[in-house]
Amino acid sequence: MRAAATAGLLAVLAGGLLTGCAGNSTAITDPPLCRADSDGAGSGVILMAQSVPSASFVPCIGAALPLGWDFHHLIARNGAARFWLDSDRDGQQAVEVRLTESCTTSGTTEIPSDHDGMRRFERVTRINPTYAGTRYYVFDGGCLTVSFSLAGDDPGEALALASQVVGVVARSDLQQQVHEQSGGRLELDPGEGSP
Amino acid sequence: MATLPPVATATGAAARPAPPALRRVRRRRRPSGEPPPLPRHLAKSGKWWLAASAGVVVAWIVVAATGSVSHFDVVDTRVLQAFAQMRTAPLTRAALIAGGLATPIAVYVLWVANLAILVVLRRWRHLFVWFGVALVVVAFGSLMLNALQRPRPYDVELLGRWSGYSMPSLPITVLTAFLVSTLYALVPAGRTRTVGKWVICALLAITALSRLYLAQDHPTDIVAGAVLGVAVPLAAFRLLTPNDVFPVRYSRGRTAHLDVTGARGDAIVRALQDQLGLLATSVEPFNLAGSGGSTPLRIGVKSGEAAGETFVFGKLYAATHVRSDRWYKLGRTLLYGRLEDEQPFHSPRRLVQYEDYVLHLLSDAGLAVPRPLGIVEITPEREYVLVTEFIDGAREIGDAEVDERIIDQGLSIVRRLWDVGMAHRDIKPANVLVRNGTMFLIDTAFAEVRPSPWRQAVDLANMMLVLALRTDAEQVYRRARLQFSDEEIAEAFAATRGLTMPSQLRHLLREQGRDLHAQFLQLLPYRLPPVRIQRWSWRRVILTIATLFAALLAALILVNNLGQPL
Repeated sequence: MRAAATAGLLAVLAGGLLTGCAGNSTAITDPPLCRADSDGAGSGVILMAQSVPSASFVPCIGAALPLGWDFHHLIARNGAARFWLDSDRDGQQAVEVRLTESCTTSGTTEIPSDHDGMRRFERVTRINPTYAGTRYYVFDGGCLTVSFSLAGDDPGEALALASQVVGVVARSDLQQQVHEQSGGRLELDPGEGSP
Repeated sequence: MATLPPVATATGAAARPAPPALRRVRRRRRPSGEPPPLPRHLAKSGKWWLAASAGVVVAWIVVAATGSVSHFDVVDTRVLQAFAQMRTAPLTRAALIAGGLATPIAVYVLWVANLAILVVLRRWRHLFVWFGVALVVVAFGSLMLNALQRPRPYDVELLGRWSGYSMPSLPITVLTAFLVSTLYALVPAGRTRTVGKWVICALLAITALSRLYLAQDHPTDIVAGAVLGVAVPLAAFRLLTPNDVFPVRYSRGRTAHLDVTGARGDAIVRALQDQLGLLATSVEPFNLAGSGGSTPLRIGVKSGEAAGETFVFGKLYAATHVRSDRWYKLGRTLLYGRLEDEQPFHSPRRLVQYEDYVLHLLSDAGLAVPRPLGIVEITPEREYVLVTEFIDGAREIGDAEVDERIIDQGLSIVRRLWDVGMAHRDIKPANVLVRNGTMFLIDTAFAEVRPSPWRQAVDLANMMLVLALRTDAEQVYRRARLQFSDEEIAEAFAATRGLTMPSQLRHLLREQGRDLHAQFLQLLPYRLPPVRIQRWSWRRVILTIATLFAALLAALILVNNLGQPL
């Protein structure tokens, strides 16, 4: 029985490792909060700002996620950053938020933006049997894309969630934050004449 | 148990010659605190790297607790800015190429190539350690990235590819771990490995410089990554695949056997003198091909006669043999189930104690087995030598002259084993020796006290098959009827078939092209229905399910990580 117990323990351990290793090992599991603490935005938001150095705004999670919604993970790399939200009704990675330097908005409809300094475009790809669509926020040096791939019956909740929960932080605020946290010795971005 | 007289055979009692006299000196007790003959140790460099990795973890905790990361950020940034001052277009192109080794595709190639080579070489232990190191390093690195949440360098332009947080530098951690694992799994110890270490240093230095130039990581991220990347595989390979136990070789030979030259050889000589009072003059491997469960040794010792020399036999048992025994018994339990009512050993000490005990038991039962001379401790709880009489000049029964006297002795041995309630469980030509008309039974590691009747019946059939290999079934059967009833012989052959015979016996039967088993069955006046080998118990069911589950998980992990370890 000891061998059986050992084998079982190994299996559980291996399962744990399997879970830990699944997916991208540089994926960030903490949500990028617009205000992580009194010092300002979370590290994930700063990392997203570093992904797209030209972006004047950076997406973040601005409010607590409603019941049934979860943060999936964030991947930030050179040139782009994206994070996903999971829903128990609309499925895994139902909402994707992506920050890039630019994006193509052909075939979209421009509607009044809910964020200052940004233009908003919408494209609905499909409404039956499930909803799929994309929302673009275009601003100086960047583009914020919110993609919906909803498996549930009611897309309204997810669409509203994107407006209520997904916020933005101005790059200038992040620059100020880094400046203050380093005691005025460092800047987020290299300045004029800097390397 | 009182010592029984020698085994009586149908042709009279088999005389057992006295062993040669051995010269003994005064034994010496190892005082408290004195190291054993072969102390177990991790090399100095291993300790240094483990200490360094502990230092890295402590530094993380201190920095996180005191909120002093900005000081490190400033220092790191100044270093990176100094590198950035040197940037030119050609240098940047060169740096991007030089950093190629830390890219996902390069790490992937390294990963798959190593796994493939280790599978082809069937170096399973190194493969599992390699795989374990990869899992641990990637999982731990990923965990620390999320715990520390350090953004990429500030105040300097980042060039090239990067992903996620920067502390520790995961590409450097994984690349270092993979390179060090490659070195320890594929490169033989010695000068080649030393050269390999310098090559790895050079490759890592180039990669690190590239990443600093491109400002992809902070300098401290790289240092932390390199320390973890070295410490984990170094500790894992040195502890789980030590060179002297699992040497990396490209020559033929069984890797299960321990190297008995160098420090281990010296330790054995010293231990024999201190613990048994024997003056060893040589220690050499003996008949390695015939043994997979221990490292058999022929040890030259001073004999009782002036200036004379003789031999004793040693079986070196180490933790690796215990693990082999455990896997072997697990396999047999899965294959046979309830009939194999046996438990694995959990330490070399228990294993060697058991075999010594069995030898005493069989010797006291009047059976011709090598006389046990004692147990020698080499490394406490890890390595022991069982010392016995050496049957000098004996030949395997497959190469010896076999007449009716030998046949009777073989059958009487089984009869006596039955009488004293034991089974040898590994009767095969390699374990039956003949010298000057006397048969010896060796290798009693698998012997069992009060075995199942099935096991005892199998012993009889295997002995009859071994004897018939050099004679014929009819002769052996005729002699067997003098000591066993038809029912007992019928039971033996009903119990024995296929996997219940040792593999050497099966191979020899196949080589000879004679179906001796069928011939014995034809000689029997009647046959008993075959004893069902496959018996199920709750233990076997649980073990089977657990094994299948573990295999499935291992396959899933392999498939998951084959795709991309980073």
